[in-house]
Amino acid sequence: MVENNSKDYRALLAGYVDGELSDEERRDFERELARNEQLRDELGEFKKLKEVTGMVRYADLPDEVWENYWQNLYRKMERGFGWIFLSLGAIILLSFGAYEALSQLFTDPTVPLWTKLGIGTAGLGVVIMLVSLVRERLFAYNRDRYKEVNK
Amino acid sequence: MSIKEGKTEMETDVALIMDIKAGNKKALGKLVERHKKLAYRLALGLVGNKDDAHDISQEAFLRVYRSSKTYDAGQPFLPWFYTIISNLCRTWLKRRSRRENKMVDVDDASFLLVDTANPESVMVKKETIACLQRALTELGFEDREIITLQHFRGMSYDEIATVLSIPRGTVMSRLYYARKKLARLMGKHDG
Repeated sequence: MVENNSKDYRALLAGYVDGELSDEERRDFERELARNEQLRDELGEFKKLKEVTGMVRYADLPDEVWENYWQNLYRKMERGFGWIFLSLGAIILLSFGAYEALSQLFTDPTVPLWTKLGIGTAGLGVVIMLVSLVRERLFAYNRDRYKEVNK
Repeated sequence: MSIKEGKTEMETDVALIMDIKAGNKKALGKLVERHKKLAYRLALGLVGNKDDAHDISQEAFLRVYRSSKTYDAGQPFLPWFYTIISNLCRTWLKRRSRRENKMVDVDDASFLLVDTANPESVMVKKETIACLQRALTELGFEDREIITLQHFRGMSYDEIATVLSIPRGTVMSRLYYARKKLARLMGKHDG
């Protein structure tokens, strides 16, 4: 009977150690504790663990880090915007450059047909791969329940 | 700042998020001041390294800024914010696991003794703490998470239930199993 009940009292054991049980729960738990040796052993184990974790605290950062925390964060935000504009500019320039280069290549009568065909096919392959990648990312994004916090 | 939120504090957080949504960077500054230490300490408990925890806490505020438009004003701020930190920590640990073949990398300076008055007991305590640190690194993410919130952040069960969006009973049972594992791991390292 003790063994059958002990599973129900395990969760209460955590609450008992932390002083989180209601009066009724505590009385019920203490009745079980008086007759269940295994539970008493576990209680001793948990109390010891709590004593050990009570000996330490997580180290804080130096005061100057906290004083500059917001400024550092603000600079990161500014740099983020900088990267966005830089990337957009680079995409525009590269796209325009690629368009100009391909236009000249395909309208140049001195370039052999096989060369144009090879470059055109390779270019088409790159475009298909890019579209596929974007579609995959969009699909994953739409199915991600944490998209608003984990991207 | 304590995680214990009164109604007014919750309203203030939500009001700040609404201002951030409207593009007010000063509101983000205020939110950062209110929660920067909490963010750092939560991250430190999960990744075990001060520098990483600092970076993660800063990244969490950037995510708050970028994601403020999707924030539901009817929901409390802290569980949403904790989810951001927790997800960042998970991603961080996965990357480190791939890179260095280890999950948590607890630096020696991440833990401090609370009481150093008695020099004789300090040595013994330091050994016990080293053992605790090693055991923590071997715990799974969810076990370390609940241990951190209860033991090192001192949150009540109701606060943990709110932050993790789980029932109070689940908090108790998760704590039970996490402590059992931690005690077993400490015994392994001790002996």
